[in-house]
Amino acid sequence: MREELRPKLVGARVKRVEDPRLLTGQGSFADDYRPAGMVHVALLRSAYPHARLLRIDTAAARSMAGVVAVFTGDELAEAARPMVATSKMKDYRATAMPMLARGKVRYVGEPVAAVVAASRYIAEDAARRINVDYAPLPAASDPLRAAEASAPLLHEEVRSNIVLSREFARGDAAAAMAAAPLRVGARFRFRRKAVLALENRCYLGDYHRGRRELTLYSATQVPGIVRDALSELMAMPEHLIRVVAADVGGGFGGKASVYPEELLVAVLARRLGRPVKYASDRLEDLLSTSQAFDEIVDAELGVANDGTIAALTAEVVGDVGAYSIYPWTAALEPVQVVSFLPGPYRMPNYRGRVRGVATPKAPLGPYRGVGRPVAAFVMERLIDMAARRLGIDPLAMRRQNFVAAEEFPYRTGSGIIWDRAGFAECLTAVRVALDYDALRRWQKEARAAGRWIGIGFASYAELTGIGSKIPAAPGMPVNTGTETATLRIDPSGSVTAIFGVASHGQGLETTLAQVVADELGVRLEDVRIVQGDTAGRAYTTGTYASRSAVLAGGAGKLAAAALREKVLRAAAHLLEAHVDDLVAEGSRVAIRGTDRSLSFREIARSVYLQFGRMPPELQEELEATKLYDPQFGTTSSATHAAVVEIDPETFDVRVLRYVVAEDCGRVINPMIVDGQVHGGVAQGIGAALLEELVYDGEGQLLSGSLMDYLVPSAAEIPPMEVIHIEAESPTTLGGFRGMGEGGTIGAPAAIANAVTDALAPLGIEVTELPVTPERLYRLVEAARRKE
Amino acid sequence: MKPAPFAYAAPRSVEEAAALLAEHGGDARLLAGGQSLVPMLNFRLLEPALLVDINRIAGLDGIAEIAGGLRLGALVRHRMLETSPLIASRFPIIAAAMAEVAHLAIRNRGTIGGSLAHADPAAELPLLALLLEARITAVSTQGRRVIAASDFFTAALTTALAPDEILTEIELPDPPAGSGWGFAELARRAGDFALAAVGVIIAEAGGICRTARIAMAGVGPTPLRAPAAEALLQGGTLDTGAIAAASRAAAAAAQPADDLHASAAYRRHLVEVLTRGALSAAVARARKVVP
Repeated sequence: MREELRPKLVGARVKRVEDPRLLTGQGSFADDYRPAGMVHVALLRSAYPHARLLRIDTAAARSMAGVVAVFTGDELAEAARPMVATSKMKDYRATAMPMLARGKVRYVGEPVAAVVAASRYIAEDAARRINVDYAPLPAASDPLRAAEASAPLLHEEVRSNIVLSREFARGDAAAAMAAAPLRVGARFRFRRKAVLALENRCYLGDYHRGRRELTLYSATQVPGIVRDALSELMAMPEHLIRVVAADVGGGFGGKASVYPEELLVAVLARRLGRPVKYASDRLEDLLSTSQAFDEIVDAELGVANDGTIAALTAEVVGDVGAYSIYPWTAALEPVQVVSFLPGPYRMPNYRGRVRGVATPKAPLGPYRGVGRPVAAFVMERLIDMAARRLGIDPLAMRRQNFVAAEEFPYRTGSGIIWDRAGFAECLTAVRVALDYDALRRWQKEARAAGRWIGIGFASYAELTGIGSKIPAAPGMPVNTGTETATLRIDPSGSVTAIFGVASHGQGLETTLAQVVADELGVRLEDVRIVQGDTAGRAYTTGTYASRSAVLAGGAGKLAAAALREKVLRAAAHLLEAHVDDLVAEGSRVAIRGTDRSLSFREIARSVYLQFGRMPPELQEELEATKLYDPQFGTTSSATHAAVVEIDPETFDVRVLRYVVAEDCGRVINPMIVDGQVHGGVAQGIGAALLEELVYDGEGQLLSGSLMDYLVPSAAEIPPMEVIHIEAESPTTLGGFRGMGEGGTIGAPAAIANAVTDALAPLGIEVTELPVTPERLYRLVEAARRKE
Repeated sequence: MKPAPFAYAAPRSVEEAAALLAEHGGDARLLAGGQSLVPMLNFRLLEPALLVDINRIAGLDGIAEIAGGLRLGALVRHRMLETSPLIASRFPIIAAAMAEVAHLAIRNRGTIGGSLAHADPAAELPLLALLLEARITAVSTQGRRVIAASDFFTAALTTALAPDEILTEIELPDPPAGSGWGFAELARRAGDFALAAVGVIIAEAGGICRTARIAMAGVGPTPLRAPAAEALLQGGTLDTGAIAAASRAAAAAAQPADDLHASAAYRRHLVEVLTRGALSAAVARARKVVP
């Protein structure tokens, strides 16, 4: 069979190879490791949002049976340097995040003291017996108040709570706005969200005193970044540190940062010389895992009478919480709002300004979509507001303003480059799938019958698979733009493929095996993917920012191609054939057009066990290592459509239908892409309708349990239709684009537009998410009072 | 999130359990389904010295017919109420309301006695007890007494039970013959505690309303009846106007508070909407308009 006609694994709905393990309880999560002699950590966390620490009395806790040790921040001051997330960004003020609070506490839930005990029960009992004298300090929980010059300071050394600011500009936005025949705008608010992975954060430090080796088992997305951080903060060479993230139960960005608790168990394991485990409970997860969104966006769109966008301006205030998350910095989320705000649209004039304000809350950090869910919410609402005023159909208005095929590569108002992407193709696919004109007719009839039905859209573009020419976070000095794969064939002919990425549920063991197996010419079951472990790599970071399929996929392809060359050279010698006549397929190498072939096992055994019989130039290990750097990145895009119904009396919102058409380039595994879209949209629906971390004016978290912090369950999520558009990417190897985040970017905007559409007869614009029944009640009451 | 240390006892009889409560009083807590108690222990909102597990006491999990009603043991699970043919035929409102209680795993464990004794003001079973005028039996070493549901719920998470009393059974008198029922609830998600819930029973004779009972949950420190709304209906015809007026009166009788999920004003609005829906359904059922 000719090579191009062979059935490929890439593109096939291959069942996830990790699932039998994960679904039968045989995964290896950090909490599953229980080495002999292990002790447990419980943390005393601050009950105050902002307070000076006067005295911490740990005597009673220390004296309890079963307690191994109790530490305060001051007692561990020499054990590790504080974490400082640095950035080359102008107007970024770096602040330090302590492992345990020193001097003062800056948010409710900040770790103040650590108890190490024989069991978590004892550790928690002892933590309750630690006495802390706090001197409460004033605090501004509201970011607008915290931004004022008179507000109490969280970090005195930087002399302001405004810890970062940045501006993007193109053209003359002010003049274009003033000249625009139609201007629409509002203050938009997207409330604070929890990341909420199924598995809470968990860390186990194991220090071998004889070999001076530290192993950290971590529920992390970024074992490589953690290893580098531990080395620097604990002053240990990296060859003595191994970070293992075997199975991780969801990350969504919340496990993409280095945490004080992670450093703490490493420090305690080294100090105590025994395995030390910290497992966060759900309350601690809600209190201390990095949080998402929470921006106030004053935005305005200027539009010509024919619907052409003339200008966009935005002022963003981001509530970044008490600390700058390591290593991404507090700039990551709010700056991305401004840099992605223009979306997939032609934008001749743009000005976006952002300020990040420190408040006494858990730190803001990366969350699926980073900045773009808020950007899409604002931009897509503005488009609908303008379309409604002009009497233009919302889909037509989007299509008209999309960057057109002939304009790629297109530089956006903030300097991001869109390579060729399927903006219009996605929109058209959604329109067709909906049978749009019939849907609008049905909506009209339903409205006439008293039903409140709304149809909403969201189109967006995102940069994925970012290479080394662009920092993943603004000004961040960590290189996230490369990935290396090592492939080796052992004497049994089986393939081990070692990557630096770290799957936390997205099925990389399957998709990377599909890529490698196709390129190398072996069966899927002959490839084992090793990932989530720093031991195999000189440098690695992990999995975040929709990078793994693009970067690891590309590195896997390069390494597989190089290894295939080695295999074919050896086989050519063994088969006495010319390399050009050989084809590798199904774990065999055959002479094209003959029945003569050798299995990979036969080739590998010949190579390794009979080295002497190979000519000197073929005496080489069947191993290849290749680095891949996509340099810039590639554009992923989608259009989402939501159909919602609002109960006209209770204001309960139901999502009746949800359609996504997305372009992630060449699809490696449609089933896995579907799953990523389903999960992302479910999180986006949660963000749009349910999920909100509520802090009171003083900085106390009111939604500290899953009874009060509401995540959607299966009952709240509609069936979804997902359409894959494959506009091949010219810039990445294999044509892959990242697609792990998109669902969460489009869904809040689509739901907000659908809810607004349902309320159109009342003239209500949704400007705040989540849009809860309570908020709808107030909006409807206000609209009726106006009438 | 681990509980503070506690001792554990699993008595085999009500007498034995009562003796333990008499000995430990307020330092002991009864464990039935554990669906509210265990989270409270883990949050250390409660730190009892002793847990008295009553799950091994025989005879507390039955549903029995008695003259003019049903008798339910304290350990009858939500899921039994949801699926029992006896409940379905005699108190279909209970079966219907159980589908709104939390999730299947919780309904499999949670008990009627536990729910009533925990007295969450937004829970369905306390509302139903009040609506159906249940009689609740409490036992201690001092003897046994029967408490009317109207006297049982005294404040949020607080009942008329003394620290040494065990709730052992609940008697439900049959509603008037030919009556119809309605139950309406709104929760943020499937299975959440109600933002507001309303249950009603009405009976007509000769086109005149003879019985009207309206109870609500989630809108006060305890489940509430709406006597003024009930009075508006009794003795009149159950037309749209009467139902609307009664619904407004029920909303006026609610005592909602602002919380994280809803304002008092929205909850009061919901009471009116839900009461209207529940009354309309009850009238239709009484008139056999719906099956």
